[in-house]
Formats: sequence, structure tokens, C-alpha cells
Amino acid sequence: MYRKFLNARSPLRLLEKGLHGGLGTGNLGVVLAGPGVGKTSFLVCVALDELLRQGRVLHVTLDQTVSHLRAYYDTVFEDLASTTRLEDEVVTHAEIDRRRSIRAYSGHAFTTEKLREAIKVETEAGSKPSLLILEGLDFGSLPRTDLADLKALAGELGAEIWLSIACSEERVGEVPESVRSVEDLVSVILALEPGPEAVALRALKDHDTRDVSDLHVALDPRTLLLTRS
Amino acid sequence: MTDLSKTRNIGISAHIDSGKTTLTERILFYTQRIHRIHEVKGKDEVGATMDFMELERERGITIASAATYCTWNGHHINIIDTPGHVDFTIEVERSLRVLDGAILVLCGVAGVQSQSMTVDRQMRRYKVPRLCFINKLDRSGANPQRVVEQLGEKLKLNPVLMQIPIGLEQDFRGVIDLVAMRALYFDGENGERVRQEEIPGELRHEAEAAREKMLDAVSMFSDELTEAILEERVTEALVLDAARRGTLALKLAPVFLGSAYKNKGVQPLLDGVTRFLPGPTDVANTGVDLSNNEAPIELASDPRKPLVALAFKLEDGRYGQLTYLRIYQGSMGKGTSIVNSRTQRRHKVGRLGRMHADQMEEISEAGAGDIVAMFGIDCASGDTFTDESIQVAMSSMHVPNPVISLSVKPVDKKSEDNMGKALGRFVREDPTFHARVDPESSQTVIAGMGELHLDVYVERMKREYGVVVQTGAPQVAYRETISQRAEFNLVHKKQTGGSGQYARVAGYVEPLIEGGDFEFVSEVRGGAIPTEFIPSIEKGVRSALVKGRLIGFPTTRVRFVVNDGQAHSVDSSDMAFQIAGRKAFREVYNRARPIVLEPVMKLEVEGPNDFQGVILKTVMQRRGNIIGTTEEAGFCRVEAEVPLAQMFGYATDLRSVTQGKAEFTMEFARYLPVPAEVQRQLVEEYGGKAGGEEE
Repeated sequence: MYRKFLNARSPLRLLEKGLHGGLGTGNLGVVLAGPGVGKTSFLVCVALDELLRQGRVLHVTLDQTVSHLRAYYDTVFEDLASTTRLEDEVVTHAEIDRRRSIRAYSGHAFTTEKLREAIKVETEAGSKPSLLILEGLDFGSLPRTDLADLKALAGELGAEIWLSIACSEERVGEVPESVRSVEDLVSVILALEPGPEAVALRALKDHDTRDVSDLHVALDPRTLLLTRS
Repeated sequence: MTDLSKTRNIGISAHIDSGKTTLTERILFYTQRIHRIHEVKGKDEVGATMDFMELERERGITIASAATYCTWNGHHINIIDTPGHVDFTIEVERSLRVLDGAILVLCGVAGVQSQSMTVDRQMRRYKVPRLCFINKLDRSGANPQRVVEQLGEKLKLNPVLMQIPIGLEQDFRGVIDLVAMRALYFDGENGERVRQEEIPGELRHEAEAAREKMLDAVSMFSDELTEAILEERVTEALVLDAARRGTLALKLAPVFLGSAYKNKGVQPLLDGVTRFLPGPTDVANTGVDLSNNEAPIELASDPRKPLVALAFKLEDGRYGQLTYLRIYQGSMGKGTSIVNSRTQRRHKVGRLGRMHADQMEEISEAGAGDIVAMFGIDCASGDTFTDESIQVAMSSMHVPNPVISLSVKPVDKKSEDNMGKALGRFVREDPTFHARVDPESSQTVIAGMGELHLDVYVERMKREYGVVVQTGAPQVAYRETISQRAEFNLVHKKQTGGSGQYARVAGYVEPLIEGGDFEFVSEVRGGAIPTEFIPSIEKGVRSALVKGRLIGFPTTRVRFVVNDGQAHSVDSSDMAFQIAGRKAFREVYNRARPIVLEPVMKLEVEGPNDFQGVILKTVMQRRGNIIGTTEEAGFCRVEAEVPLAQMFGYATDLRSVTQGKAEFTMEFARYLPVPAEVQRQLVEEYGGKAGGEEE
């Protein structure tokens, strides 16, 4: 399959439709799921989609190593390429790798200030991100000002920012307390709900829409790929 | 014969400059193998005992791994000193193959560095149980707790502190043994007297907490110990036994502390080696049975069984050609007759010795589990020797292909005469080092794993053989491959008097995505091509792969499928189908969109955070692809993949832009397509040289 078709037929288009146009630049999105359900897998799929459409991705992690996350990207890409019989797999892989950057902050080295510096470095190096993913942030102890700062950053960059938050298994269906107090800063909240066959995606918040529509997108836990459901 | 449960074959591995040669020196001193300590880059002009090559002394690095042995508490310990620089990893890998256990040395200040990760990966591959030694605790900034955390986070080990330090940095005085709950100090001019004391009052509380943590981790491996903990009747023996089980199962890494340079903490580490690391009988070794289709065969560390020994290192020393052997099964002695499984040649064992760096102690017999040196027998590194009763080979060791080459030209007659001899020896010693004569330029070309790797051999030629050479510009080992499927249908016909030639082959080529160099598939049905000519086609195609059509480098990752064809009862021959195969491949090549692949190195640069920007820039300027950046406590580590072709002179550049405060390691990662622009350039250059060369 050619890349153009792959992009057109990506389940992400369906997700965008379900979300009335997707997250949108300048906005913050949040993915909620229990531990091990597939937050990283989902976000890697979102990132690969952005990369395959010529975007640039900065993936920041506070709880994983660079090599671990990179292995995630390689695995998901290889699965994607083989299930869709992507043309020019090797060349494409090398090319999208160049537009992706991973940053790991170990210990408590992360601050939004540092993130701004890092983005400055990336931008100077010619890779200003159009999508920023931030994983492992402790929402409970995150000051509101920091989140507001992230929102501002999304605006300045003209980028989308996705955050992932781990929540306890039984409370996946609702917005956790830690997020509710800052809900006004967040445009989209998605929950990953494990089912018998696949992990279903459910929107808990979709911009200002009251009627949150069904997304028809799921995550296949075997291939770690997004599928239509 | 030695008691195998009291034999230890260990290696000492680490990042460059973590102090492993210094540590080895201390071990040899305390076990009374040497009677004076010489420092690396010593001011006493002698150099450390293990760094015996002149060049190593000069550069302060360890290149070849010397084997030595010592005894401690009635245990017989064979030690392989392994080089730390990445360009020499084949040496590390070869050592690990024959080891039963290892000490991973870490710098107490820098912690887990990129090279520690490479070495650890190798240890994992060969399933080598390991102890960790956090060294340099006397240095300012030493923080063993942080290193322990890194061992867990970065290497995914399960590190357990068996000791805690008494003081740190310039106040580092000794260690507290958490098993015996005693404080240990190291007295005497060279720390040779271990003094046991009560734990100092101010550390009592900390020691108890640390002991509890250690018991918690260790008790996972022994129900008996768990019970004993509950009933509060823990004995030293129970703790040691449980820790040993965890270590052997590769699920636990006991951590020891010290400062080799300041003579502290080395003797307890030796106790750890005898207590926690496996003896030859504790480790399962398998070979392949050559008489049974290379089926895996378990070897038993039993001196009475048939002999199986692996030649893991060759050296030319003052005693002539020297072969280091690890005996896995059986025994051998002076006068024993042995057979090389690869060449089937029989040899008679002459002198046998135990090596202590470059001095030798002659022995008459050695058995399973031992590491010995054998004299005057011609073989290659990696060969297996057996007695005649069995046909076994040790599985082959992982040997990467060379990624860089350099032409060398002797400057005078004497150099010319000796160069062949020198290169012949290096090639036998080091499977990653290659030497050949280029048929076109009739120049000698050497190839290896990196710039420094080749530099070292050029230096060694000069020092050890008096061979002075002029070197050409380093040449990267490119590859060619195809990037899409294309079909062919080719008729080879020739009728110019005499017997004619006729062959038709049809099929397709496609990229071999799963990897591998070449796959030939015949799907010819109904005898369209007589079966005897199928191998001829393959032979023809293979001959066309040797030199790619784009830039003259070998073509790889190709699947060639022939599914139809035609033969002529008189005019078809082996030769006709070989030519048809070759022509078909050449003809289809351009339509399969050939691309050039280049070796890409995995580069890791570590330096202070302030230099992050400039470090990234050095990588970007070299067509590098940044994989990621890790920040912690003032330091950053940049991981990237950079084409080897762009890395010449990197050390100098990095030093100048970071004021010498950053360091890097590099190893071959994989082959990747070059950007279209670079390909165009390479093709143009080659076209200019080769101009219209045809069949």
C-alpha cells in the first residue's frame, strides 16, 4: 500500500471524525488508562500517524528509557508496515525516524521550564515539533500553573500536546479528581477500556461538545495497532 | 586434578577508565601472584602487570585480554582482563564466551555509562552471572546509592548491596559487611591487612536498615532463609547460599564497594567471587554434535569424559605461537593427541602452560573447567579441539562483519617483507580484523570495526614487526540492495560456430526484508529447466552479487526467484545457464530500484547539560539521527545513529566544542539506505572511475 492510502485509511481519521476534527493545534489532550492497558501504544500510534504525514514529534517520558521507547516505535511501525504492506518500508522507516525525537528525564529532573529549553534546542536543530507527547507526569502533584504553561506552549508552537495519565483500574469510566480541577485547560479526554477482544477508546470530553459521540476505534492488544471497531 | 567446585573462571568488564586494570593488579597483589603494585600509566615506568603490550602501556588502555590466574581461600581463580573500548568488543565477547562469571566494574562517580550497557548486553547474551563492584568511592562526587539505582533502571539488574561504605569521597575509610555485620578496614602500606571491627555507632542504624533490605531481596531465592528470618535465626551460611542461588539464576547481582586505587574493598570482593560466582560444574555448556547434524549436545565438566576444548585466543609471544584454550570436558596433558574439529587435523600437545600476563608457568596436565595456554599448534581463534572419540564443536561465536577499511602501503623493503607476517598473525588472532589484496589496485587493504581498531593494528605493525606503512583514506564498507520487486525473462543465445549456447530464465527478484544476504528460490515446474541447471543459475547470480552495479560494492538482501525457463537439448549447458543467471540479474537490477546502504553506528555521547546544544549539533552536522536525549542530575546523554562515513575525526571535534568534558562510545548498529543525494554522488564518483566496464 502506498503511504497516501495508508494515511487516508488510518483509524486515526475515524478518531478525528469522532472528535469533531481531532485534538487541534494549541490544545491539550489526555489519555487515561489503567497500568499496562496501552497508553504508550496508543500514543505511539498517534505519533506514527503524525510522522507519516510529515509532522515532527517530540516524545517526552519521565518513567521510561530512550531505548525502551524507541523499541516501542520500531515494533509498532514494523507491525503497521507489514499489516498494511507498506511500500518502501525501509526507506520510510529511516525517514520518519529522523523527524522523531525522544527525551527521557530520569529522577525528578523534569520541569516545564526544562521542557521549554529542550524545545528550544530541538527548534534550533531544525526539528520544531508539531506533536508533543508527555508521559509519566504525576497529575496529582502538578500545579495548575504548570498545566497552563503547557497549554500556552501548545499555542506558541502551534502543536498538539497529548498527556498520558495512569489511573486505577476500576475508575476508568470517569474523569479522576486530579484532572477534574483542571478540566477547563484540557480539550479532549480519552479513556482506554480493556475488553475481551480489544481495548476500546471512549471520549470522556470532546472540546465543548455536550454530546460525546462514539469513536469506533479500538486498540488491538496483540499488534498494538489501532483498528476500526 | 583440581577440585572443580573450587575453580572460578571470571572476567572483569567495564567502561574504559573505570579502573578494572587497577583492580586486577590489586587482586594479583593480594593473592600474592605479584609482589609489587604497578600503576596503569605508572610513574614507575613498568605499567600494570596485565597491560603487557607496549602500546597499551603507552595509551593507558587494555587491548588484548591477558589471562592470568591466582588462588584465594583455596579457590583457583582464572582471570581474563577484558578491554573496555568498544572497538575491541570482539575481545570482550570472546572472553565472555569462556567465562563462568564476571565482575562488572562501575565508576562510583560516573555510574552506569554507555559501555557498561554494551558489556552488560553481551553478558546477558552469554548468560554470565555477575557481581558488581562500585569503584572509585574515594573520588569526589562518588555516590554508590545512585549507581545502584542505575543498575536497576538502566541495566535491569536486581542489584543488592552486600556492603555499605564507611565514609565517602576523601573520608572513604572502609566498608560494612552486611552479612557478617562487621566493619572492615584495610591497613598496611597497600591495604593488605584486613582489620575487622565493630560497626561504628553512628552507622549502626543505617547498617541494620541496609541488611534488612538485603535479606528481603536475597530471601526470594531460599524458602529456608525466609523461614529463618521469620524465626529470627538467620545464619551467615543461609544468606550466602540464597544470594549464590539468585546470582547463578541471573536474578540477582550482589554489589560490592571500594576503591581499588586506594586499596580498599578488594579482598571482600574476592570472597564474593568464591562465594557467589559459579564454578565450571554450576554452568551448563552446550556444543554442537558434528556427527549428528549439529544437534546441540550438553557437555559435562568431567575430566574423565572425552575432551572438548575451545581455542578462544591466539597470541604470538616470546614463546612462539600461543593458543589459549578453555577445556569444557575431559582433560589433556603433555603428549596428548588432539583433533581440530574444523580442519580434522591431528596435533600432538607439546608444552602446556598457565599464563600470568606474559610470563608462563609450565604444567603437565589440565582438566575440564581450566583455562590453559598451548604452544606451537596452528589453528584459528574459535576452533574446537577434541580427542578422536567424539565429533563436537562449540557453537560459533557471534562475529560481526567489518565496516571500515584502509589501504596500507609499506614504505620500504623491510616493511614489505614483514607486513604479510604481521597481518597473518593479526587475522588469526582477531576474527573482526581482515586483510586482503585488492585485485584492481593490487594494494593491501585492512578492514575492521572502527577507526581506532585499525589504528591500533597499524601501530602494532610498527612496534612489533618494524613495519612502517602509509595509510590511505578510510573507506566505508557500503552495500547495495534492491528496493522493489521486478520481473525478468531473459534469453541467452550464442551461435558463433562450434557448440552454441542457449538458456532462458524467467522469474522475479525482490528485497529480502527478513534480512540475510541472498536467497535463491526455484519454483520451476514441469521440468522447464532441467534440474541439473538450477544450481548453475544460482552460481551465475551469486557471481553478479559480488560487485554491485551502482558503486561496485557487494549486493545484499536479495531474493532471486526463478519460476520458468527453457533449455535446448544440444546447446544448453552449465555455462549457458550461469551466464543467463548473471545476465538476468544484471538486467533486472535497475528495474528493481537499487539503493546504496551504508553502515550506521550507534553513538552515545555523555556530557554536562550545558553542552547539550553543541553535542546535538555535532551529531546533526554528521547526518546523524538523534534517537533520544536523557537528562539527569546535570548530565545529559545523547543517543544517535550516525553514518560511519561521517564519523572520521569526531573525537577531536567533540573535544574542542565541549572543552574535553564530553565522551562518546560508538559501535556498529546496522546498514541503512543513504539519502538520495548521497547516492547520486557515490554513483557519479564510481561511474567516473569504472567508466563503461562491461561483462
